[in-house]
Amino acid sequence: MVSQTTTTICPFCGVGCGLNLHTEDDRLISVTPQLDHPVSRGQLCSKGWSSAYGVDLRGRILHPLIRTPRGFRQASWDEALTTIGEALQQVLNEDGPMAVGIISSARATNEDNYAAQKLARAVLKTNNIDHCARICHSPTVAGLKQTLGSGAMTNSAADIFETDLIVVFGADPTENHAILGGHIMRAHLAGTKLIVVDPRRTRLAKLADMHLQLKPGSNIALINALIKTILDNHWQDSEYIEARCEGLVPLAAAVANAYDGVERTTGIDLETIREMARAYSKASRAMIFYGMGITQYVSGTNNVIALSNLALVCGQIGRPGTGINPLRGQNNVQGACDMGCLPNVYPGYQAVADLAARDKFSHAWKTALPEQPGLTSLGMSKAALDGSFRALILFGEDPVITDPDQNQERLALSKLDLLVVAELTMTDTARMADVVLPAASFAEKSGTFTNCERRVQHVRQALPPPGEARGDWQWLAAIARQLGSDQLDWSDSEAVFREMAALTPSYSAMSYPHIDEHCGLQWPCSAETPDGTAVLHSNSFPIGRARLIPVHPTEIDESADAEYPLLLTTNRLHFHYGCGSMTRKSPLLEREIPPGLLFINPADARDLGILHRAPVGVRSRRGYLETCAMVSEDLPPGLVSMPYHFREAPSNQLTNNAQDPVTKMPELKACAVAVEPLPPGRVPRSMDQLNAEQGGIER
Amino acid sequence: MMSCYLLDTLERLHSHLARVYQIVQPLEDVGQSAPPLVSPKGYFFAEQENLFVFDGECFRETLPQPPPFVLFGVQSCDLTAIAYQDQFFARDPYYQARRQQALLVGIDCVTPCEHGFCASVDAGPGVKAGCADLILHARPEGGWMLMVCSDKGGEAIRGMELDQMDDTELRARDRRIDDCIAAFPDDSHLHRGIAAISQGRVPDQQWQQLGIQCLGCSGCTTLCPTCSCYGTRDLSEDQGDIRRQRFWDSCLYESFQREASQHNPSEEAGERVRRFWTHKFGDNFAKTFGRYGCVGCGRCEQTCPGVIGVHSVMRRIADYAPDDDV
Amino acid sequence: MPRTMMSESAELLSLTPSVAELLDFVDDGEATRRYRFRLRDPNAMATPLPGQFFMLSVPGAGEAPFTFTTVPDREGIFCGLVRRVGSVTSALFECRAGDLVGVRGPFGRGWPMEQLAGQRVLIVAGGCGLAPLACLIDQLIAQRPYRELALVYGARQRSLQMLDDSRQRWAQQVPLFDTLDTATEAELGGALLGTPLELMDDILLRLGWVPDKVLLCGPEVMMNTLACFFVERGHSPRSIWLSIERRMHCAVGLCGHCYLTQHDLSHHYVCRDGPTYRWDSLQPVHVALPE
Ligand code: SF4
Ligand code: SF4
Ligand code: SF4
Ligand code: FES
Repeated sequence: MVSQTTTTICPFCGVGCGLNLHTEDDRLISVTPQLDHPVSRGQLCSKGWSSAYGVDLRGRILHPLIRTPRGFRQASWDEALTTIGEALQQVLNEDGPMAVGIISSARATNEDNYAAQKLARAVLKTNNIDHCARICHSPTVAGLKQTLGSGAMTNSAADIFETDLIVVFGADPTENHAILGGHIMRAHLAGTKLIVVDPRRTRLAKLADMHLQLKPGSNIALINALIKTILDNHWQDSEYIEARCEGLVPLAAAVANAYDGVERTTGIDLETIREMARAYSKASRAMIFYGMGITQYVSGTNNVIALSNLALVCGQIGRPGTGINPLRGQNNVQGACDMGCLPNVYPGYQAVADLAARDKFSHAWKTALPEQPGLTSLGMSKAALDGSFRALILFGEDPVITDPDQNQERLALSKLDLLVVAELTMTDTARMADVVLPAASFAEKSGTFTNCERRVQHVRQALPPPGEARGDWQWLAAIARQLGSDQLDWSDSEAVFREMAALTPSYSAMSYPHIDEHCGLQWPCSAETPDGTAVLHSNSFPIGRARLIPVHPTEIDESADAEYPLLLTTNRLHFHYGCGSMTRKSPLLEREIPPGLLFINPADARDLGILHRAPVGVRSRRGYLETCAMVSEDLPPGLVSMPYHFREAPSNQLTNNAQDPVTKMPELKACAVAVEPLPPGRVPRSMDQLNAEQGGIER
Repeated sequence: MMSCYLLDTLERLHSHLARVYQIVQPLEDVGQSAPPLVSPKGYFFAEQENLFVFDGECFRETLPQPPPFVLFGVQSCDLTAIAYQDQFFARDPYYQARRQQALLVGIDCVTPCEHGFCASVDAGPGVKAGCADLILHARPEGGWMLMVCSDKGGEAIRGMELDQMDDTELRARDRRIDDCIAAFPDDSHLHRGIAAISQGRVPDQQWQQLGIQCLGCSGCTTLCPTCSCYGTRDLSEDQGDIRRQRFWDSCLYESFQREASQHNPSEEAGERVRRFWTHKFGDNFAKTFGRYGCVGCGRCEQTCPGVIGVHSVMRRIADYAPDDDV
Repeated sequence: MPRTMMSESAELLSLTPSVAELLDFVDDGEATRRYRFRLRDPNAMATPLPGQFFMLSVPGAGEAPFTFTTVPDREGIFCGLVRRVGSVTSALFECRAGDLVGVRGPFGRGWPMEQLAGQRVLIVAGGCGLAPLACLIDQLIAQRPYRELALVYGARQRSLQMLDDSRQRWAQQVPLFDTLDTATEAELGGALLGTPLELMDDILLRLGWVPDKVLLCGPEVMMNTLACFFVERGHSPRSIWLSIERRMHCAVGLCGHCYLTQHDLSHHYVCRDGPTYRWDSLQPVHVALPE
């Protein structure tokens, strides 16, 4: 009856809401919101409320498992580590460090991510380190780094209540970042103007003052037309541009013809474009939020640059209630990037290519560091297919479900000599592993997460890890030791954080006690700003002057055609997260899965003879799956949409892996598909059934 | 007439009760003005509860067996909710197994809390005699009034050396409670909103509009002290037993009523939002339970990310009230 | 005023099922089976009235409501018709003779048997809606309290019809009209082509009498439209009865899942106050009555 309460942070999305975990005899009995949390203020979304079910011991992996021809067998940590150590050593001896790599997790703590990249660089001597930001926000990092010098949200959640206009661009915050989405609703109801730009009629679009239902992939065409309108009418903030930006002339030249064909390309009339341009440029404070509807295109990086151009010409960066604010998906995707779990940067975005930075880390870690740039996660998959990449350590991710082009991904993983997966439960990726390690959940470890507004927050352990499960940095350290290195031998999470903060300028004034004192600290937090920074770029940009960089519309890689007449986009459902391995353990969230997973406009459904909830087959150039249709007005004709959380009907069977040339970000937001009705009463076959019937790749 | 005693410190009552009862104190500080974020309903209607076990041969009911416990310092809104749930769960064996073990010690509120409006729905701020076994009231001059309002309460404090207090004290208590009622902010939106809902005057489109804002988070139903819906599931135990568990559910979930055939009578979010508010302010519920389902704790206002907590909703629908009901 | 702290009088409910054995089953149309169960303790259940239902637990899968097609006999043997639609029914379909299940009941209010005496009764069922009526039809035909009785059974297509042998049996005693929404000439057999609503004028003409009481069971749209059909033709809303389906987790008015939305804000739990309702008590839910 008497329970203990541990305050911690929600493990699901980048909002980073404050949670109280109530435990009784080492059992999690309930979860409640923290009343005084600076972001969530006593609220949670359905995922947060259900997080107690997610760490439930049912279905948890409790011991290391080793693959045998007859399936997995339980093994001791010693045996598992020996197996991993020997296999790694063999690959390293035969093919060198470029043949091994680590994919870390945007769900894991900063400490875990720091440890992962250190294991890769200082022990394995490779820069083959990546995490899933690739499939959400690498264009953000690449784009904003060029234009502003920093790839994070410029402002804070609290600014939502201090602005006059909110523009939500290609994002669905009430589903993906529910509590922030709620704040936007609240501000809007209290009088803040709201403009939504999205091909789908999202919840916010239904409430907004303006909804620009643009055609998928036409972001740059629209944004350039907005900029042209602003410049033509002299609505820009000339003083700001003068003082803080460079490159206006080439930008003005580049957008001069932006009206040509824009109504056709975007599906938005000039009058509406003008109205939005006026509203945004004339607002005394306007905030842009954007999401995967900007980044998940082959033109992802350019899309981000275009948005940045728009904000800069209007002087809407650097003050409270303004800014350009990427909504990052996973709870710690910001932190995983900050920690340098990217092939080209060390912690704090210090470039691997920069000799001084390399020296700094080499000196601190007392070891030589690799020069050769690393592979991205998709690069590792590609290299696996041709046999040049052979051993992968992966944790907290289920790329078989979440990465584009599932069949290629499976094939790539099946080619590896060694696949190590650390997980809570048996995911599809874990099923392909040679060694599976039992990982600890967020409730069973301590460390920090960095939310989307750069707030570093303390995650506290409420429960002991079940069975033989271990925290991520702890088992990463064990692998290092197996390879004869004591690089990762920290005494506790706080020691990891101290080492990291000393090497990461934007975290340099942070410590656990200081974080606790402030309910989280927003970076940069250094000697100059010891209590953190709510608004970035107030006085100057890290690169001095912000850059206006002309970008031109690019067509989507695969448009609809006669054979594949519909465009498929992906979306998320607010009650599920990632591959669903945690959220689907809740009986409530599991029940919430809609009876149909392919959202389709009534007109298209009528043309194809598809009834509401009727079974359908969906085919693209890369794959085929079966599911049920949800006929919905929320999609425009010609566009269909699928959530990607469900292994029964994974949308990534279908999606295109054409990539953004800069970041290799795959174009998840648009690919061509054909949809056909199945005979009435037919139960859609799951992916496992289809694979079994068609002799799919199984190891 | 209840008897009333002077209590010098809460610790004395604490330690006396602790001889028989396990002490559970939901408030951080007895006497704080806001109710705790989590209502005490879970002490009786558990968030997850095993109903029975099937061992392959028989179904065995698994009733909880809590030790005697006292909920020490519960505010009037929550006590009113417990009285409401006592009726609703009158025949529920699991609820009653827990409830029979409990002693309720109420605490009068003398200052309004931020979102609460107990006075507007006849649920406080002073604890009603029928809702608790003992009532505490902080005296401005120091010490506490301790009122005994049930046999169980009288039994519980037997053996404590306490001085009886007279009617003037009780009258002073009433005055302080009246002052507290007067200090609540304007509640006309609540009265108008209640009239609009209970007379069915809120049009469908208004509910649909509110429905767009509902994220189906379940926060309101989880925190609302008079919400009682539950779902069930079967769980396999290690030894091969199967247990049926019930767990708090929420009528705001899209799938709450969805049937196996996929037919869903409340597919529209607006219908579900209407259901919630009708349950709290429907006259027909009031007929069955002797009062509205809402006890004015204000938790839904605090926790709803969709801005459809009680004050927000009532402000939106107040205009549908009939004019004479101002 | 809040009432007393606890209702002293109330007798506690039990949510724990009684054990029953799955005896056998026969297929009945596509994805539908008629199951026979035997209660381990034949006295575990009061005698159900036609239209009442029971909760069936398949251990490990959960619990769902079903109607009796025959009520427990002296040995505790009873039948239920089950269509495979969700997880509980799928699990039941995996069970074999001899497996143990759990049963609770009977629950709810049955059909108004007593009000049918001496009346001209028309029963209209759609799809799976025949199951909750089967037991009633059997009893009516056995006891013959009515003045006239006729049955209409609508199905979307031939393969979705159920209870073939019962219908054949009934057809020998009373007029029975099968209707099919879609069918080829060959599939049609003796059935009429169309929905019960489309064919109702025709059927009434063929019957040659006007019903005093109408009992409906099937998809909600079908029941609503038919009820309106009869009301528009001057039948009293009080002469029309229907049976409502809802998701259920408790069957005793506690879990809240089976609520019925009423525009007049009265609150009903279908498990307790239904599943059978007289149309006038439901009418505000669905469609306004013609003035
Ligand atoms: S909004 Fe994000 S962080 Fe907040 S409760 Fe929901 S999933 Fe967790
Ligand atoms: S409806 Fe809101 S204010 Fe009323 S009792 Fe429930 S949570 Fe409290
Ligand atoms: S708290 Fe608000 S958003 Fe959440 S379920 Fe309740 S009404 Fe919906
Ligand atoms: S089935 Fe639980 S209330 Fe009706």
